[in-house]
Amino acid sequence: MSAATTLLEQVLNGLTIGMVYVLLAAGLSIIFGVMDVINFAHGEFFALGAYVGLSVALATGSGGFWVALLVAPLLVGLVGAGVERFTIRPLYGRNPLYHILLTFGLVLIFKDVITLIWGQQPYQFAKPPLLSGTVTLFGFDYALYSYFVIGIGALIALGTWLALTRTRYGLVIRAGSMDRDMVRYLGIDIDRYYTIVFAFGAMLAAVGGVVLAGRQNVAPGMGNAVIIPAFIVVVLGGLGSFRGAVVGGLLIGVIQTFVRSQFPFLEGLAVFLLMIAVLLLRPQGLFGNPEWGTGGEGGDLLTAGDADVFDSALKRRIGVGLVGVLAVTPLLIGLPSYYVNTLVVNILIWALFALSLDFVMGYAGLVSLGHVLFYGVGAYATVLAVMHLVPSLFVALAVGIAVSAVIAWVVGYLSIRVSGVYFSMITLAFAELFFSAVFKLEWAGSSDGLFGFDPVYGLFAGPSVGSIELVGGVSVFYYVVLAAVVGSYLLARQVMRAPFGSVLQAIRESELRTGFIGYDVTVYKRRAFVVSGGLAGLAGGLAAVQTGGVSPEFLAWIRSGEVIVMTILGGMGTLYGPMLGAGVYLVSKELLLGITEQWQGVLGLIFVLFVIFVPRGLVSLPGLLAGRFDRSPGGGTDVLAEEETEVTD
Amino acid sequence: MAAAESGTVRETADPVLVTEDLTRRFGSLVAVDGVSLEVERGEFRSVIGPNGAGKTTLFNLISGALPPTSGTVRFDGEDVTRLPPHARVRRGIGRSFQITNVFGALTVHENVRVAAQSVYDAGLPIAERFFCSTADFEEINARAEETLERVGLADRATERAAALGYGDRRRLELGLVLATDPQVVLLDEPTAGMSREETRATMELIDDVLADRTLLLIEHDIDLVMNVSDRVTVLDRGRELTTGSPSDVAANERVQAAYLGGER
Repeated sequence: MSAATTLLEQVLNGLTIGMVYVLLAAGLSIIFGVMDVINFAHGEFFALGAYVGLSVALATGSGGFWVALLVAPLLVGLVGAGVERFTIRPLYGRNPLYHILLTFGLVLIFKDVITLIWGQQPYQFAKPPLLSGTVTLFGFDYALYSYFVIGIGALIALGTWLALTRTRYGLVIRAGSMDRDMVRYLGIDIDRYYTIVFAFGAMLAAVGGVVLAGRQNVAPGMGNAVIIPAFIVVVLGGLGSFRGAVVGGLLIGVIQTFVRSQFPFLEGLAVFLLMIAVLLLRPQGLFGNPEWGTGGEGGDLLTAGDADVFDSALKRRIGVGLVGVLAVTPLLIGLPSYYVNTLVVNILIWALFALSLDFVMGYAGLVSLGHVLFYGVGAYATVLAVMHLVPSLFVALAVGIAVSAVIAWVVGYLSIRVSGVYFSMITLAFAELFFSAVFKLEWAGSSDGLFGFDPVYGLFAGPSVGSIELVGGVSVFYYVVLAAVVGSYLLARQVMRAPFGSVLQAIRESELRTGFIGYDVTVYKRRAFVVSGGLAGLAGGLAAVQTGGVSPEFLAWIRSGEVIVMTILGGMGTLYGPMLGAGVYLVSKELLLGITEQWQGVLGLIFVLFVIFVPRGLVSLPGLLAGRFDRSPGGGTDVLAEEETEVTD
Repeated sequence: MAAAESGTVRETADPVLVTEDLTRRFGSLVAVDGVSLEVERGEFRSVIGPNGAGKTTLFNLISGALPPTSGTVRFDGEDVTRLPPHARVRRGIGRSFQITNVFGALTVHENVRVAAQSVYDAGLPIAERFFCSTADFEEINARAEETLERVGLADRATERAAALGYGDRRRLELGLVLATDPQVVLLDEPTAGMSREETRATMELIDDVLADRTLLLIEHDIDLVMNVSDRVTVLDRGRELTTGSPSDVAANERVQAAYLGGER
């Protein structure tokens, strides 16, 4: 094959996958443009489309593919409409962060529902005989199915564009994406359009799922695999821009394919580098309007700081008591050492990670979607330090903290200048960049990770006199972790009581005002980010020691999601709330694991309910309940309103 | 200087704030068009003009909320045109907002305290800044309490700012500015949305607590500023129409045509 045909083939391969991205990104982008919703569950609509298509095709026999192509998007569209109506609608008017959190919970639910119905095994989707084989165009052989994907993608994109530009619906939607309030003032009920737009976006994603299913396996992780590239497309093209989604989708498809064959060492990195570059140089993307997505009408982050009902003396007594219980737990006779050495240690480590996130999210208003970066970097740095540098756990942990803090400074320096949703996206991109990079690095163990070292020098054994173990099987490491976590909490609490922390709280309340009483907001945020990165690095280092090594899993974005879940679940802006959230999350997980394989889905459901009804987290629950008993029980949506009035009492 | 103190309108030039040919465009709209002001040290200057005259944009340019399209801002002889807002506050330019902007979830005391803290921020040793409780900084707390006394909110210090009524929040807004110890204070319609009674009380408060500072006040209601101002600048469609003593401005025909004619 000549160089020219190779190139042509790559371009066509790129356009094929690019068209699938266009189908995904178009919906994502329009949904964001019109209702400011960042829909993490969009990839699950895509997967659901593939699975429903599969079942429909199997049920209808020959020609089933064409039926599936028609029926699956309609069914998924219905699901989308339901999702908008019952979960997303109650959150309009709140900070866009809550939609990210909500849809993250939906991802967990969808994933488990899919495996519950279709199981874990991958399926092959028989493409129709009509589309099999290759065709020869201008003396060049290429798979007919790819031409079909490109063709149908182009057709739908064109149709959508015509609908957006030539119909009344399209006009209202475009107007709504520019200025929602203005549309309302003109007497148009824009809210009614939200369900339609959301369902339509879900349909487009489902079409993408069905057509991609003809090219590759249908497997449970397929939604997860496309959501991040789809976000890159949307950010690259410009949040809210349809044209951007089309151009960005094709561009990313071609670049990905081209880089994979020409510069394999950059595979997986190039698109993230591109995304970061675009966000830094032109945050609004290639075709975006700079005034979109700046959070103009974004509500506040609902911190739990003021929803807290306990006085500080009571809290101190509870805290001291809890630490006391944790200190003697290993001594309790009859408790299996698994619970202490694994579960409790895990909870403590995640509590520290959640604390680190709360430090920036709950106090400086920085919603980091890529916080796993600092956790993972801390883990890798700690392990590498033990293996190559010093045979001391404590020095290695310090190295982990330091390296994470430095990376946090660099990431913070680059990304804190962009605000709101863009900041969240850029931190996600950085985390994914490191995640992809670690596979390429021999010295970081590539995909296997780094295992098989002994950093603890007897710390895992219990203290002993001669050959007699003092506390049955419980390791000294437990106390190292306990001390690190309690120490970090006390440190963070003191920082929040000091001048530095007081400025962070002012920033959370009003950035503008904080600048106009003489503080450099950017510098303060960056410093907070460094502290937070260091704490996350310590959590990562401890987790690596606990695991006995480190693998790319430590950098997977799902962990960023989990730590956000814990933080919100507990109640951000309180420091101890997120730590409580970590405990409740992991204990629930442990309990659910014993009952059902679908533990993630159940947790997702609980989380979704929390985001909607108890946005200030567990620590606000006593106050909420007290409020409940005083008044007559009302509808669910009243909870937030009630809370708001409580605040102004 | 001393000789000038006796007169109501100062003759000796000691401008603390100077704008030269300050211009800001939004697309084709020229919101502020070549405005050159000289504000004397200790002067009470009011900036009036009809809606859309460019008053708030002018404030945004002086305080650093917006960069000018062209022209310069000088403070105390230094060119501050390119400085970010916080750096201007540190040099002594404080401002209030037309829409009250206080830290709602913090207590009234904490609002003013954190503002007072900014005066000392640069000088705090790292260890103290990160680890000493704010309650231990006596000078800052004393300053906060004094500010609360002056704006009349001392008895509400422990309440959260969001719980204050409208008038009290405007006072707190003033307290935030005062606590940063500014030389020049920019007040953007401090009496907006107030009743007649509240307005009178607020103007008295301003006259009382800010008497020793240079004041630049945006006001809609011309009658309100006539008695308190040393000089009045009238803006119309982005341009400076005239600057002079209240009586001169009131007598100016162009001002009457542009601003007063329609309403009175």
